[in-house]
Amino acid sequence: MSGARAIVEALEREKVEYIFGMPGGATLPFYDALWDSKVKHVLVRHEQLGAHMADAYGRVARRAGVCTGTSGPGATNLVTGIATAFADSSPVVAITGQVAKAMTGRNGFQETDVVGVLTPVTKYTVQPLSAAEIPSAIRKGFYIAETGRPGPVLIDIPKDVQQEEVEMTFPESIQIRGYSPNYPVDVQDIERAADMLARAERPVLFGGGGIRIADAASQFTAIAELLMAPVITTLQGKGTFPEDHPLSLGPIGMHGRAEANRIVQECDLLLAVGVRFSDRSTGNFHEFAPEAKIIHVDTDPTEFNKNKLVDLSVLGDANRALTLLYDALLRRLAKRDENNAWLKHVNQVREELKGIPAYRDSYAELSGPKIVKLMRSILPPEAILTTGVGRHQMWCEIHYKVLRPRTWITSTGLGTMGFGLPAAIGAKLAAPNVPVVDFDGDGSFVMTEQALATAVEERIPVVSIIINDRSLGMVEQWQRLMYNRRFVGIRFQNIPDFVKLAQAYGVQGRLVGSLQEFGDALREGIRSDQPSVVEVPVSHEEDVFPFMPPGKGIKDTVYGTSKEMAVF
Amino acid sequence: MLSTLVENKPGALFRVVNVVRLMRLNIEGMTLGVTNHGEDCRITITLDGDEAAVEHVARQLVKVIDVLEAHTYSPEEVTARELALIKVNTDKMSVADIQKMRLCRIVDSSAHSVVVEVVGSAKEIDDFVKSLTTAVLDIARTGVAALPKELPA
Ligand SMILES: Cc1ncc(C[n+]2csc(CCOP(=O)(O)OP(=O)(O)O)c2C)c(N)n1
Repeated sequence: MSGARAIVEALEREKVEYIFGMPGGATLPFYDALWDSKVKHVLVRHEQLGAHMADAYGRVARRAGVCTGTSGPGATNLVTGIATAFADSSPVVAITGQVAKAMTGRNGFQETDVVGVLTPVTKYTVQPLSAAEIPSAIRKGFYIAETGRPGPVLIDIPKDVQQEEVEMTFPESIQIRGYSPNYPVDVQDIERAADMLARAERPVLFGGGGIRIADAASQFTAIAELLMAPVITTLQGKGTFPEDHPLSLGPIGMHGRAEANRIVQECDLLLAVGVRFSDRSTGNFHEFAPEAKIIHVDTDPTEFNKNKLVDLSVLGDANRALTLLYDALLRRLAKRDENNAWLKHVNQVREELKGIPAYRDSYAELSGPKIVKLMRSILPPEAILTTGVGRHQMWCEIHYKVLRPRTWITSTGLGTMGFGLPAAIGAKLAAPNVPVVDFDGDGSFVMTEQALATAVEERIPVVSIIINDRSLGMVEQWQRLMYNRRFVGIRFQNIPDFVKLAQAYGVQGRLVGSLQEFGDALREGIRSDQPSVVEVPVSHEEDVFPFMPPGKGIKDTVYGTSKEMAVF
Repeated sequence: MLSTLVENKPGALFRVVNVVRLMRLNIEGMTLGVTNHGEDCRITITLDGDEAAVEHVARQLVKVIDVLEAHTYSPEEVTARELALIKVNTDKMSVADIQKMRLCRIVDSSAHSVVVEVVGSAKEIDDFVKSLTTAVLDIARTGVAALPKELPA
């Protein structure tokens, strides 16, 4: 069997449905082998888009998405997509072609040291140097990508290795000496955590993306309901706890919900699960949760005490750890009353903050927050939302209630503009029966708009909503608030007509002028079996609040524009 | 000082050094040699940086798939040796004087110079070099090889 055939056979054994990519000289043997395969190739117009599709597919399907590019530029085009997946711990397997071994190091046509380029942003890289190594390299790649703290893996395969014919054996399982993702949870840690939680008077639960990855949302919810404790999340963790639940305070962070940011400062115990205490969540590390004892549950031991010193770290899979913790709590206490003093206080704070300018609707007919809220009321709970990066994403953070895990797919760790549309396509292929909507900014959208071509070709009905403020809104906001309105490089003088742009790709495009029209366009979009684009013009001057300025603590949070704050 | 055991295969050193580079630490010395019948490779790195940064590197290294172990040690916790070859100008310092010096052995001699071999701790080598003053023509040091001492029972 040829090395190329072995790649395809190995992918079939991993039950890969789709491979997102673009061929080239160094992957031709591999593509030739795809001709005979059930694995479906989805042709992209830029390899970065293929990586985003694979990433979102992985986040939704709970197994690695696969992308591919040829040697040289095909491989380097993958970099942003791979780095995005790495930053959000998403399972991706990237397969790249490489120049033949004999050409290594000669700076020949399309030779790039992609292992060198991608090592810092992957969980692992392998380069099979003989065809016989391919089956185990691919098994190993998927195993590493999908287990423990997931992440992208690069498999770089020289062209001559793809062409080599050898006798193949496909391993069922593999041993990797330096990798053991399944730590048993230490029951003593669990007992200690349960003691701390049972004693706490003002407990808060803090959920991150790790809960989604470990499928631990139901255990997490059960613990919250047992303790009747308020729940906050990271931006990535949105949806790990239903945000319409009475105990939900929403996400904390730079653009978190005001009540979530306020309450975390007051708690005496923080149960943090699958979070990494990123600066965007905590603000100034030292000022974060100053009164709290912190319990940190995570599957990656290097996260403990990395950014924030914690009092107890519990190593292990969140699903297992929280199951044990729930049982340990049950042995100590009965379901707490919803009228407990702490929760009463929490609800009081919530009431108090209801009137902040950030939560009031703008007078404009069309504004980001109003659109987001209307969108939530139209989309069913199982609908998947992806986003670009910018103010529009933050309006979702604040106003879009995510109700189920794996229905909120956004780039938080890297904050990659252009993620939204290709991610929507990958998500839709992983969950073909639910509506998938990309909520995008005009700046982000044009970075990867050519994914529309793929959506049309493959008949992938995703709806792109473009919040068009004719500006790099988020950066405009920073220049307005922190650089004394010295606006540089943020206003678009020339914007494509998005309706015509959509039509040029053969996609239905609509420009809406009212909330009513927006609602109609969205309903129509999610009913359709074709992709569509909805353009929503908004003012470039509407900033996103609350806003905790970078490096500052929660007490420095701004709740509205300076004008609004003057009268608040 | 950082001691790590990695699978002996191409690219292993690159993965280790990459983590050190990320934390912007300067490598002052490094030794590398295969062990465990050629299956593994022990890399000992002397780093210039504060303890927290070195500790961070060690923790991140454990996560690197090909890394089997990574530990940080203070100088007291290890037995450490380094070898240096030093070319000495015999017009400035006589061979007889060199032969009298501790720790060293002449391993090669030419008309106007000798090469001496010195084995010891990094500090002993520093001191030795200093004692030669201006007679030093060139130095090649290996970097420190180290093994942790047995913990007191
Ligand atoms: C690839 C990339 N380049 C630059 C940035 C920096 N950046 C963050 S938000 C933003 C503006 C995004 O504009 P748009 O997509 O129109 O969204 P808006 O903020 O207007 O809602 C920029 C340039 C980024 N996050 N990603």
